[in-house]
Amino acid sequence: MSFNPLEHRGIPLDRQVRNWRELDVEPIDPDGTDPYTRCRIITMNGIEVEAVMFSHQFARNCLDIEVSKQLAEVRYLEQQQQKAVNWLLPGASSALETTIAYEQVAVDLTAWVARMEPDPYLKQAYQFGVLEDFDHLYRYANLYEMIQRRKAQKIVDDLTEVIPGRPTKYHHRHPADNVRAPYDRSTAAPISKLHALTIMSAEQQTMNFYMNVGPEYMEPIARQLYQEIGLIEEEHVTHYESLVDPGETWWERLVNHEYNECYLYYSFMETESDPRIKAIWELHLNMELEHLHLACDLMRSYDEREPEEVLAPELPAPVTFEPNKEYLRELLDTQIDLTTLGTGYVQEAHERFEAMQDALMGGELPPSERVIDMHREQYGTDYRHSTDGEHPVPELRQERTEVAR
Amino acid sequence: MTTSTRPDAPDREADVVELLIGQHMQIRDLFTEVQSAADEQRADAFARLVRLLAVHETAEEIVVHPAARRGIESGNDIVADRLAEEREAKEQLARLESLGTDDPDFLPGLALLRVAVLEHAHHEEAYEFRYLRQHYDADQLRSMAELVRTAEQAAPTHPHPGTESAAADLAEGPATALFDRVKDAVRSTMADQGK
Repeated sequence: MSFNPLEHRGIPLDRQVRNWRELDVEPIDPDGTDPYTRCRIITMNGIEVEAVMFSHQFARNCLDIEVSKQLAEVRYLEQQQQKAVNWLLPGASSALETTIAYEQVAVDLTAWVARMEPDPYLKQAYQFGVLEDFDHLYRYANLYEMIQRRKAQKIVDDLTEVIPGRPTKYHHRHPADNVRAPYDRSTAAPISKLHALTIMSAEQQTMNFYMNVGPEYMEPIARQLYQEIGLIEEEHVTHYESLVDPGETWWERLVNHEYNECYLYYSFMETESDPRIKAIWELHLNMELEHLHLACDLMRSYDEREPEEVLAPELPAPVTFEPNKEYLRELLDTQIDLTTLGTGYVQEAHERFEAMQDALMGGELPPSERVIDMHREQYGTDYRHSTDGEHPVPELRQERTEVAR
Repeated sequence: MTTSTRPDAPDREADVVELLIGQHMQIRDLFTEVQSAADEQRADAFARLVRLLAVHETAEEIVVHPAARRGIESGNDIVADRLAEEREAKEQLARLESLGTDDPDFLPGLALLRVAVLEHAHHEEAYEFRYLRQHYDADQLRSMAELVRTAEQAAPTHPHPGTESAAADLAEGPATALFDRVKDAVRSTMADQGK
């Protein structure tokens, strides 16, 4: 089953441009679809957005106009791929439903990566982050029931639990404490580089999404919650992007990006439950193989190195969306009270953390707390979808309040 | 197991927008229920869907659309588009009702109706509901909510013991008669409110 993308040629570049009819994809059903199909769509959108923005940055730093032309050509195709992927999301779903799906991606993708990551420092970074995404899912789910009168279970199904994680109010750290130490490009395992790129891209797209849809809401609590969690996405992008060795050359980074796209399309082609969507993953894999091939040629010419020096000899095990409930409960039990200090992790609320908290809270409860209080006032309890028993952290078990009638 | 809360959102202070969005979600979930159920359960779920659509569309037609016409810029055109969608949906609904839930054409027809209704609901939320709260104060939104509740009472979607036979009567009749009956009930409450 091993697959080495370097050994395959894809669709020639001059045959990759799609016409309007081909771009006009039919969206998935907002209710009848496998939630993990939606997760794969959201993931690949994030990957394509990163491909496009990375290529723009590269072009802005590129002195050779011939290279800029080639980047522009491939980038246009990546833009078409982004359109074909993201337009699979149905217009009938609200932005808040898509938000809940984004958080399901963040939870189950980051948990999977944390489980598979061989490097302990990198693994810790994913374990730390996933407990925050997990709490965001819970906060947005409470907002969803209040303003859309529907339970988040209808979106995430029984695949992902909706219970409190590390409380969102504690995610607001001093920005300098979000910077991690990078892996070493010469010694890191190829899979570690792919993991970092994948999670960075997914979080970056989440950040972009919240930046833009937050003000579309009229309800004050919705607008405020998007601001709060949007700022934490800024922290997460900082956290994950700093894991990537900034000493990689532009050519090496381009090759890693294209290789990662091949890896993810291959993974999703292998694991997709919807045959129509699987065909899209397969088509895009065949496009990406050619993009990778061209990137490898650039690396050989300009870096005077063989791409094989930095890439895995074959694709790692496919990235898989699957329930991670037990793993997440274990992390809740052991890592709920962590924060960061410098590039490490500590349990105490240190001075810089407290100073940031004071500056931001202004003596009031943040939106992430108020959304739960408001839900309790209206419904008597917070909203949870708990499938595997009591919350592992006693202080985070459900309280009931008397509803005023 | 969902360890939340009551099955229905509390309607103690719900305004008309909250109530109608809540109904959109119920309609959406009922479609899924009709699609996945079989035999008697499907017929039962479809009867509940017909009742809820009658309650919901009637309330919108009599209460919300006129308010939108008056309060929203280009309200007339927006409402005309919604009414056209509603007419089309009612015709599809009547066709499905005459087919019956066992007919082999029922599910394909239901799938078409579902897409039409979901899109219609999305248009209302995006182009009408969001502006209602800007143009009407809390009291006005609450009295509109009261009319929506009147419609619910005229065609209960969850029959209680004792009212079951009335609900069954309603469900057995053609959907159009049900729409008219709900309309009469709401109009009579409006007349009372106007006194």
